[in-house]
Amino acid sequence: MNRMISRLSEQQNLWPWLLLLPLSAYLLVFFAVPLADVVQMSVTEPTLGLQNYEKVLTGSLYRKVFLNTFMTAGIVTLCCLFVGYPLAYLMAHTSRRNAMLILLLITMSFWTSFLVRTYAWMVLLGNNGPVIWLIQSMGFEEKPHLLFTRFSSTLAMVHILAPYMIMNIYSVMQKIDKSLILSAESMGARGASLFRHIYLPLTAPGIANGSVLVFVICLGFYVTPVLLGSPREQMAAGLIGHQIEEFLAFGLGSAMAIVLLGVTLVILGIYHRRFGLDKLWG
Amino acid sequence: MTDPKFKSGLILPNRRRFLQGSAALAAGALAMPYVARADDKVLYVNSWGGPWLEAAKANLFDPFTAETGIEIRTVSPVSFAKLAAQVKTGVYEFDVTTLGGGDIVRANEAGIIEDLEAPYEGGLFQNGVASHAFATVMAWRTDTIKGTPKSWADFWDVERFPGGRSLQRYAARVLPIALLADGVAMEDLYPLDIERAFAKLDEIKDHIRVWWTAGAQSTQILRDGEIDMIGIWHGRYFEAEDAGAPVAMTWNQAEIDRAYWVVAKDTPNMEAAKLFVEFATSAKPLAGFASQAKYGALNPAANEFVPDSAKSRMPTSPANYPLAFEQDMSNWGGDPHEVSARFDEWLAS
Repeated sequence: MNRMISRLSEQQNLWPWLLLLPLSAYLLVFFAVPLADVVQMSVTEPTLGLQNYEKVLTGSLYRKVFLNTFMTAGIVTLCCLFVGYPLAYLMAHTSRRNAMLILLLITMSFWTSFLVRTYAWMVLLGNNGPVIWLIQSMGFEEKPHLLFTRFSSTLAMVHILAPYMIMNIYSVMQKIDKSLILSAESMGARGASLFRHIYLPLTAPGIANGSVLVFVICLGFYVTPVLLGSPREQMAAGLIGHQIEEFLAFGLGSAMAIVLLGVTLVILGIYHRRFGLDKLWG
Repeated sequence: MTDPKFKSGLILPNRRRFLQGSAALAAGALAMPYVARADDKVLYVNSWGGPWLEAAKANLFDPFTAETGIEIRTVSPVSFAKLAAQVKTGVYEFDVTTLGGGDIVRANEAGIIEDLEAPYEGGLFQNGVASHAFATVMAWRTDTIKGTPKSWADFWDVERFPGGRSLQRYAARVLPIALLADGVAMEDLYPLDIERAFAKLDEIKDHIRVWWTAGAQSTQILRDGEIDMIGIWHGRYFEAEDAGAPVAMTWNQAEIDRAYWVVAKDTPNMEAAKLFVEFATSAKPLAGFASQAKYGALNPAANEFVPDSAKSRMPTSPANYPLAFEQDMSNWGGDPHEVSARFDEWLAS
């Protein structure tokens, strides 16, 4: 009897793997193979050796750009958290209808192309845009420079990435057992204490998931910082594109991409040890 | 510089076959241009978009199709890297493209363009067929800039002409401009004094709000007043002027570049590609193209078909040409490649 059950479960265990087959094949052909190609280029072009990596790891330009990339991703993640957490809280604690309405508004920005959203910020923050107009109508003489600064690119990236944060936190908040809050209250926890000791720890997985997603996606941002950011604060993806477009430096560009990937994997690794990567998918 | 970069070692044949296979797969799913590859009556041309594309479609593409039955489709954006990658992988997205003076020397040395013959006398340079001249000119907003700037020295003069500046992120075009601003005469520019140029660039760096990288972007920031003075391609400038923006420009110290048609090395559409390059640089089509886009036609035979009314906006017209200077890539004064790398470090520092 026992044996039968174990055989049955073994057969059942094969199913998930079979279902994964098409996706695995797809990833192999369109992700793993090209990635292997990138690795190969990074050590063979223009000549065999590790000189591309040496350049990336020691050159002051590259160090600067990498540092800036991680700093920007960190700032964007924090901003998304501060914007997203209260909104997710509102969604989790309002009526179902209102929550759906907010969710619709948030996901609507996903229906608009990335590039259009970036250009929309150019119009909004531009010299003749509504934001400058508002600032001037409040009596400020000098036109502030909003576009082509760290401010404008950060703002646009937060706008683009905040939905990832909100949805992750919302999904966790929604599942919180209300009786936990009630029992905490019955024991005298109030306001800040209730939030700090009960609610915040319960939502921590959502915060961690959202943060990792936003951070990792932000590391690879290309068009938004190029179009909206300041020329002094380049991000890695823009520089990789520039290396290849301007210098045909496929090897150097590949090495930069691999370093970026490597550091990202290290960050994910740290996250995994701390929280468990499997929690990312709910 | 015939380096091994483009002979990618032992696995190339397999990789190429593999890439073609996967490209065909991708084509089915994504409707990429490869779909039509079986039909050799289509030629793919790399397009600059904007006023260039409008003029090219009306005067080069459509008449070529009418004459030969070969359909033309365009691929954007113009990408030097893609041209190189195509030859390397054997997967072609476009067959024909145009290159500027600096890029064509590099392309020819790297062996990524096909050997061509001169379709008209003096028309061939580094395996590119000379098509048209365009210029980088100084332009400004008339609503914010008081007075009339006359030279690149005025572009640098932020006391007299306060406001945000913009230049192209392209060292080969920016360095000569910096030297002119520093007082070097146009006829004494080449070979460039690279050190002096960078020293002069230091002075303006904080005032450059945008280093533009695409033609459409330069028009947009001038038209919308994001910057007050700009070094911009003349065709892109007139686009802003014609849109009604309060802008002005000068031909003084305009920097002329030449554009050349090239054929991607080993493209499967070789015959049609060569036919097109010959067509596009022949007198009448080129004259129509240059007249509409206000480029200077480089095939002398084209000039008799260019109406006088179009000439005032051309960098090569008798009135404008004496005010301008031409890029001299053969006597440039350094390795443009190394200078570009230095320029990038300078930008980020």
